[in-house]
Amino acid sequence: MRDLARFIGRRMLFLLPQLFGILLVSFALIKTIPGDPAVLMMGPAATPAALESIRVDLGLDKPLPVQFFIYITNLAKGDLGTSWQTTQPVLNDLIDRFPATLELVTLGLLCAIALGVPLGLASAFREGGKLSKVADLYGLAAGALPDFWLGLVLVFFFYTVFQVVPPPLGRIDLAVFAPPTVTGSLLIDSLLDGNWEAFHSAAAHLVLPVLTLGLINAGPILKMTQSSMEQMLQSDFSRYETLCGLPRGKVVRHALHNALPSIITIISVLYGYLLGGAVLVEIVFSWGGAGQYAVQGVLNADIYPVLGFVLFAAIFSLIVYLIVDIIYFAIDPRIGR
Amino acid sequence: MHGIVPMSAATVTSPAEKTPTLSVRGLRVEFPAFAGPPLAAIPDLDLDIAPGEIVGLAGEAGAGKTVLARSLFRLVPEPGRIAGGAIRFDGEDLIGFDERSLQKLRGRSMTLIAANPRGELNPLRTVGDQISTMARVHLGVDRRVARQMTLDMLRAVQIPDPERRYDAYPHELSGGMAQRIVIAVALICSPRFVVADDATSGLDVTVQAQVLDLLRKLTLERGSSLLFITRDVGIAAHFCDRVAVMYRGEIMEVAPRETFFFQPRHPYTVMLLAAFSHNQRLRAGWSRPSKAAAEAVPGVGCSYASRCPKAAARCLVERPAATNLGGGQVIRCHYPVER
Repeated sequence: MRDLARFIGRRMLFLLPQLFGILLVSFALIKTIPGDPAVLMMGPAATPAALESIRVDLGLDKPLPVQFFIYITNLAKGDLGTSWQTTQPVLNDLIDRFPATLELVTLGLLCAIALGVPLGLASAFREGGKLSKVADLYGLAAGALPDFWLGLVLVFFFYTVFQVVPPPLGRIDLAVFAPPTVTGSLLIDSLLDGNWEAFHSAAAHLVLPVLTLGLINAGPILKMTQSSMEQMLQSDFSRYETLCGLPRGKVVRHALHNALPSIITIISVLYGYLLGGAVLVEIVFSWGGAGQYAVQGVLNADIYPVLGFVLFAAIFSLIVYLIVDIIYFAIDPRIGR
Repeated sequence: MHGIVPMSAATVTSPAEKTPTLSVRGLRVEFPAFAGPPLAAIPDLDLDIAPGEIVGLAGEAGAGKTVLARSLFRLVPEPGRIAGGAIRFDGEDLIGFDERSLQKLRGRSMTLIAANPRGELNPLRTVGDQISTMARVHLGVDRRVARQMTLDMLRAVQIPDPERRYDAYPHELSGGMAQRIVIAVALICSPRFVVADDATSGLDVTVQAQVLDLLRKLTLERGSSLLFITRDVGIAAHFCDRVAVMYRGEIMEVAPRETFFFQPRHPYTVMLLAAFSHNQRLRAGWSRPSKAAAEAVPGVGCSYASRCPKAAARCLVERPAATNLGGGQVIRCHYPVER
């Protein structure tokens, strides 16, 4: 236990410098995007004097390091700046939108795990068998198909043709009262509220986007599970366990234990990536999530939403990686001691 | 001196009267070749091991020692397969066994002590767990008994402070310690037959001697037979009741220890022994192939012909049969070395 505490403490020590570094890099990168927010805000008819006064208001006349310094000091006070598009503080916007993305991505990833891990395991058991050929083909297809295309195909079949799901417009039917926001996840909030109608509607809206993300992202999880499991089953210690007459079930279980770290790694990488990577799926289903918000920001030289999103995503990824490191610590005695 | 008579199956048997623990007859192990017929890593092998006997198997790298070791467990390295012959263990032919009966036999009645112990042990499980699992799976004892047996076994293989080492992971142990753990894994169920495949090659010489003595003591105590595979003929000399020499999957000579070292008859055996000699002339004399050897064609005639200092025309065309020279000495050679 003391080992674990020291391990986590050491990780936490690096958290703030890591976040600072991420912000510094993204600030510099975003500032290189061409586009003048003053022009975009005032429209083509603005006078030069008006543009200049807006620039001064936004602090755009100051040198970059000063701008960054101001951003960081505001950040320390909990102010992430204001989006000129929504005219809302970025913090409020993100608190509205981030849970939507998180709910979608988390469920999509769970779906991918439920699909990829068992298929990968099954195909590793019988190398060259029928199932492993199916798995190979699936891995290839999932890697080659774009997620937004699959989303559109699913919408076409299940909404347009069969009409078994609601239209791909947002997270809940317009006619249904949304539950009061507690966690931001409509599923959990409607359950807490005891509002079955909202729960049902939110779940129905989740089916297709979650399936889209799940089907596409099961590919890499499947491949990783299959290859690391095959490798472990062929490793010296698995062969030796067979040679020692351990039952097949035990050998497989021990091999899985050894294969787990790489499977968890790919899952955690996907989790962090999907926060922004699911944006095309968000657009197809008019999800109104954080990814969409950030892309709108990039397109309109609206810097604070973008930075806010990067900050949120970075914190989220760092938390995920911290959890993953703790899991590694728990399953592999060679790590961190 | 010795009359040369063609061997019959019974003559390779060790001098002991009892039925052998392990009796291999005509074993053939093949590997598929990229083009053409499969290659035989072991073309045709006979071997008997009596109860309680320690048999050394020496040979250079690539002679097929490990393939043989794994084949005895019916676990030929991929993609090889057993193409013929019989492996009788306690009179029962393992070739006819199904997976389940094999699984019960492996680790219980016949076990393997592998080289490179740190690779063979599961890195994520404590060594105590790995040893006690053997007892629980094969002897059906409960957790507490298995733990006690494991601690006794750790003591028997001279691991200091067994209570603490029980919860150690393989990466926390030294090479010699890890080797002892593998010995403990292999011996906890008191198997009838143990194969030690190059079990001490990774250890430095002093530790090697300790581990060897331990292995000899433990197998004798338990009445287990031991097939001791090594690249070092010197070790075999100190350690084994009988010694066999393997070359390209064939046993070239097998003899009781004294005969093997004082009256070797196969040119390959002599070459191996000469390799340890300080006498340069002797070494050079036995490693220089004869003129005829240059004409040797792989796969035809004696497998050692291309390197043999005594190879003659006959060796290039006719594969020598195993010949019993009496006194338990069997060789495969047309022109045995005379004294």
